Amino acid sequence: MIKSIEKQRNIIDFTLSSLWRRKGKNLALLVVYTLVVFSLGSVMFFTQALKNEAAIILRGAPEIIVQKLVAGRHELIPMASAQTIRAIRGVEAVKDRLWGYYYDPIGRANYTLMVPEGMDLKENEIIVGAGISRVRQVFRGNALLLRTYDGRPISLFIKGILSPESELLSSDLILISATGFRRLFGVSGDDATDLTVTVLNKKEISTIAAKIVDKLPDARAITRDEILRTYDAVFDWRAGIMIAILAGAVLAFLIFAWDKAAGLSGEERREIGILKAIGWETADILQMKFWEGTIVSLSSFFLGVILAYFHIFYASATLFEPVLKGWSILYPEFRLTPFISGYQIAILFFFTVIPYTVATIIPAWRAATIDPDVIMRT
Amino acid sequence: MKSVRNLILFICLLLFTAGSLWGAAEIMPGKLTPTDKCPICGMFVAKYPDFVAQIGFKDGTCAFFDGVKDLMKYYFDLAKYNPGKSTTDIAHILVTDYYSTKLVDGFQAFYVIGSDVYGPMGKELVPCQDEAAAKEFKVDHKGAAILLFKNITPELIKTLDQ
Repeated sequence: MIKSIEKQRNIIDFTLSSLWRRKGKNLALLVVYTLVVFSLGSVMFFTQALKNEAAIILRGAPEIIVQKLVAGRHELIPMASAQTIRAIRGVEAVKDRLWGYYYDPIGRANYTLMVPEGMDLKENEIIVGAGISRVRQVFRGNALLLRTYDGRPISLFIKGILSPESELLSSDLILISATGFRRLFGVSGDDATDLTVTVLNKKEISTIAAKIVDKLPDARAITRDEILRTYDAVFDWRAGIMIAILAGAVLAFLIFAWDKAAGLSGEERREIGILKAIGWETADILQMKFWEGTIVSLSSFFLGVILAYFHIFYASATLFEPVLKGWSILYPEFRLTPFISGYQIAILFFFTVIPYTVATIIPAWRAATIDPDVIMRT
Repeated sequence: MKSVRNLILFICLLLFTAGSLWGAAEIMPGKLTPTDKCPICGMFVAKYPDFVAQIGFKDGTCAFFDGVKDLMKYYFDLAKYNPGKSTTDIAHILVTDYYSTKLVDGFQAFYVIGSDVYGPMGKELVPCQDEAAAKEFKVDHKGAAILLFKNITPELIKTLDQ
């Protein structure tokens, strides 16, 4: 047992020095390989982290959201509709929500305004997201000056700044009291932006959604699954674009790697011939080639994955920010919660390491089975 | 003397009403733990909170099921699944009401069969707390029939497995 480990150690030792002898070529391979793993890994981490972030936020979302439509556009819904929905069997609770957008010419961005549930805010108090705080340079205790729907200025005191934990959605958020919201936008006390419906039995959600639309023909009922699916589709679509762009790079790498791995150079064939002549067996040579492929591909794999991890979770995905994000203006600094699944790593591994390792073995086996005398003479 | 007698009478009355109150609230649901398995199919029950059903015995033991279908199989063949117990030993049967997902008395519930709602073990008897709910469920989910507990037979359970 110890002897065989010792043997493998010697083979690896030899392989490493043999790799080092052709360092220019092997380092180039390592760099290109690492780059490919890095780009693919970055896209995977990024989309997965975005999806994860969305899922965390949506976990607390209501089962159904009911919105009134006028001419296909979202309108304010009368609070009386809540009674109609409450009468449907299986509905646990119906709550009205107030939210909207405010364009701020000073910050040159759209803010999202929301009336939080179960938070005690006075009429002129607000809580703002970290992005707004940065852009407008306002902090706890300061006042933020906004304009009401009819042009009068209104100053709101900042009671707190939202934690940067999930900046994806809270960066441009302002939490405001219901009365403050109605005053700012001129929304009457009988209306709400939309209604949220809590359902106890998850199996019943789609039936209840259908019943709501049946009873309120001018409304639409959006289920939580639909929102999640939309997020997934949007992120997948963005990832798709990135992969399509990267496909060229991946193909170039494949050709490069195939050329390097499949066709042994004359020097390498000579090396195999000499090793056989001095008494190495075919099996030993195959083991050597296996270790060579493993060393190159594993080190580039780990390097690429680590680099991608830092790129996404510490450097805020600087390289593909414009493509993958970008549906709001106010994300000056944006850090995702690190999230990695074993499944992703496994996919990345099987698409990069395994093919390369396999590709190096076959030509080596071919060379190793030829008579050493013939190899050395060619 | 009279006051003492009155006091005794009062205490007796109090005990009596307390006793009858106790009797009214006698269903004490067994506590489900994550390791409880269905005695019929062997699956973990806690994973399916929408379908949990239970039979509580007078000695305090309790069997949990991942659907009314498995509960009925157990109920009809107690001698096989819980030797030494008979239906007279049963203290309560609780099933999960479809709409409220709360435990309700299994003897009083209304069961809908043939609907498009499937449980962890396939076709199910879906329990509803009252008749109006059962009727609405039958319409919404294309149910075939509404049954009372006493109408459920072993033959019917067999047809659900086909």
